[in-house]
Amino acid sequence: MSTSTLPSAAPITLERTIVKSWKGPIALSIFALLAIVLFGVFARPGVSHFRLSTTGDFFQLPQLDVPTTSTGWILAVILVILAAWSVLMVFQSRRVPLWLTIVFAIVFMAGFLTWVAADALIPIPGLLIGAVSLSVPLIFGAMSGVISERSGVINIAIEGQLLAGAFVSAVVASMTGSPWAGLVAAMVAGTLVSFALAAFAIKYIVDQIIVGVVLNVLVSGLTGFLFSQVLTNNPKFLNTPPRFDRIDIPVLGQIPIIGPVLFDQTVIVYFMYIVVAGVAYALFRTRWGLRTRAVGEHPQAADTVGIKVNLRRFWNVSLAGAIAGFGGAYFTLGSVGSFTKDMTAGAGFIALAAVIFGRWDPIRAMLAGLLFGFATNLQSVLGIIGSPVPSQFMLMLPYIVTIFAVAGLVGQSRAPAADGKPYIKS
Amino acid sequence: MRITSRKSALAGLAVVGISTMLLAGCAPAPEAPGSSDKPAASDFLPCMVSDSGGFDDKSFNQLGKQGIDEAATKLGVKANSVESKVETDYAPNITSLIAQNCNIIVTVGFNLAAATKDAATANTDINFAIIDDNSIDLPNVKPIVFDTAQAAFLGGYAAASYSKSGIVGTFGGIPIPPVTIFMDGFYDGVQYYNSQKGKDVKVLGWDVKKQKEGAFTGGFEANDTAKSTAKNLIDQGADVILPVGGPIYQSAVQAIKDSGKDIALIGVDADVTQTDPDITPMLLTSIMKGIQVSVAEVVSEAAAGKFDNTPYVGTLANNGVGLAPFHDFASKVDPGLQGELDAIKAGIISGKITVESPSSPK
Repeated sequence: MSTSTLPSAAPITLERTIVKSWKGPIALSIFALLAIVLFGVFARPGVSHFRLSTTGDFFQLPQLDVPTTSTGWILAVILVILAAWSVLMVFQSRRVPLWLTIVFAIVFMAGFLTWVAADALIPIPGLLIGAVSLSVPLIFGAMSGVISERSGVINIAIEGQLLAGAFVSAVVASMTGSPWAGLVAAMVAGTLVSFALAAFAIKYIVDQIIVGVVLNVLVSGLTGFLFSQVLTNNPKFLNTPPRFDRIDIPVLGQIPIIGPVLFDQTVIVYFMYIVVAGVAYALFRTRWGLRTRAVGEHPQAADTVGIKVNLRRFWNVSLAGAIAGFGGAYFTLGSVGSFTKDMTAGAGFIALAAVIFGRWDPIRAMLAGLLFGFATNLQSVLGIIGSPVPSQFMLMLPYIVTIFAVAGLVGQSRAPAADGKPYIKS
Repeated sequence: MRITSRKSALAGLAVVGISTMLLAGCAPAPEAPGSSDKPAASDFLPCMVSDSGGFDDKSFNQLGKQGIDEAATKLGVKANSVESKVETDYAPNITSLIAQNCNIIVTVGFNLAAATKDAATANTDINFAIIDDNSIDLPNVKPIVFDTAQAAFLGGYAAASYSKSGIVGTFGGIPIPPVTIFMDGFYDGVQYYNSQKGKDVKVLGWDVKKQKEGAFTGGFEANDTAKSTAKNLIDQGADVILPVGGPIYQSAVQAIKDSGKDIALIGVDADVTQTDPDITPMLLTSIMKGIQVSVAEVVSEAAAGKFDNTPYVGTLANNGVGLAPFHDFASKVDPGLQGELDAIKAGIISGKITVESPSSPK
């Protein structure tokens, strides 16, 4: 570069714009301060117990007992150091790496758990098993949302698809006595809801959000009506589905902590791993994925190269419905057994949030679902051991965590360009 | 142009669809007021509005409906019961029943208090009765409340006596007085057992002294959240569980099955062996509230023209609340337990043992 032969003879230097983003360090500093106040100043005396193993593990990790106050201080100091480091990095015009934020979050969580668990026991495997369990329908719902919105159709009807899946799987599995039949029926039910969404949104160009909301109300009303009028009259025949047994995968299932969490689950959860991996691969590595994304980003361009935009959207939305229906079956066949009215309790909407929070990316959306499940179960565990926070606030925890995560970590998220816009061929 | 017109036509159709569904969700086809096909002698019209749990919750809405139907059958009339789907249905449902000239409107649940109060203030000629709420003081509103803490006290004592692990647990749907009163009594019952027997049985999920902190699922749906909460209690070593809140016990049943452990459940509101016989093998006992009986009584009295606004308070003394028999567990509990419980019950009735809950009806 310095040996430039340009007449000016001055070396060409590219101007670098340095954008110092103080958002990260400020957020970390606030949390570090919170940690000092909470874990240090308002320290609770006692010993915090953590159970790390379940009975079936390879080797038993001993129960971890740590003194609450001093551990709290140590972790708070670590948090301060991490926050200071992030400030220093921004001063030097470097970006705060993601791993730093993640380490910070984990240390903060460890400190928080130590603080609340003064003279109480927190079973770590139980906490995580519950978190995975609660996030399963969210993750299926989020995958449904990702596929649908990536192809340009907003899927507000996830809640309805989950509920339809839960209802139909319970009924069919009870009647046939086979949970597999219930699973298939759940997919069909989800697809049928999707057909309605796709037909109205794509063929008849009705506002997609309105159709989605109407479908949610329709499915809720329909299943609620059938539940009160039909299912409660003959629960033996119609509403006592067999549940899937948990399958303990040999070897993997015996690894301490992660074994029972990930590899001692029902078939539905194993399918979930496959679905997430499958969607992530297919969306970014296959011809189907490329075309799907093209249809969602720039349908006119896709049409120009011969992709049948509306047909592709129709089938993708149907596929999304099948996946959500599958997830709905988890409520009945995987978890609770019988169907009860409106049992999805808003999971579809949280799944929708997970899609946006995950920036329309399957893996990130899955992580968002897991975060929400973790926060929900944490709330429950803390309620049981008697946390120093009122229950009404604890019930808000999952939502607060989600909002903080969306606002603080994700930053700007951009929907597929043609999301929600019908394609009218002129 | 064709597309546009079709679109607007369909949008119109959708709007009609939504409104139909919403309306259908609010209220069943109303009976024409004063229709002539009813026997002339009995133009008394008892009505009821459920809370968002619906009338098939195997719990207090269902029991309330059974109560009003029982009274109606005796009177030879037909009760008009309207189910609420969401909180926003309460006021419109009451309004629609007022329009049908109901003589008494029974509103089921604490959550309908505000709507009931408004309607009662505006319609002084119609009588109201509200279950589980004692906050309204109007001449035309009769509160039907239960000092459930007394029965739950017995339940807590029995749980403490039965528990082998020395840990019992409870969790609720939403932290509201009709729920927490169970947990208060349960907690106190366990403490009473501890003081009597010199034991140290722990209660998880609720602390009567703190009131604000406890395990709640955030709703009355039998879903995965309720199941995880029950599982978390089991993880902490609890071997007797008291889920308080309509159908959430069904989730607890599944959590117990999953754990593969020998864990006993305590039912609430009704004797659950009657409302849900399938789970009898894991049901230690039930903490009962005489919703059905009291609603039937209040409605019958109103029909006889004897309505008054003194609250009906169900207690152990008037059998408005009580502890169900042990059924399958009769052989598993301590042989002396029933005798001890009878003595405690007598003690509570005579006032020798005081059971106090901040949620108890005053």
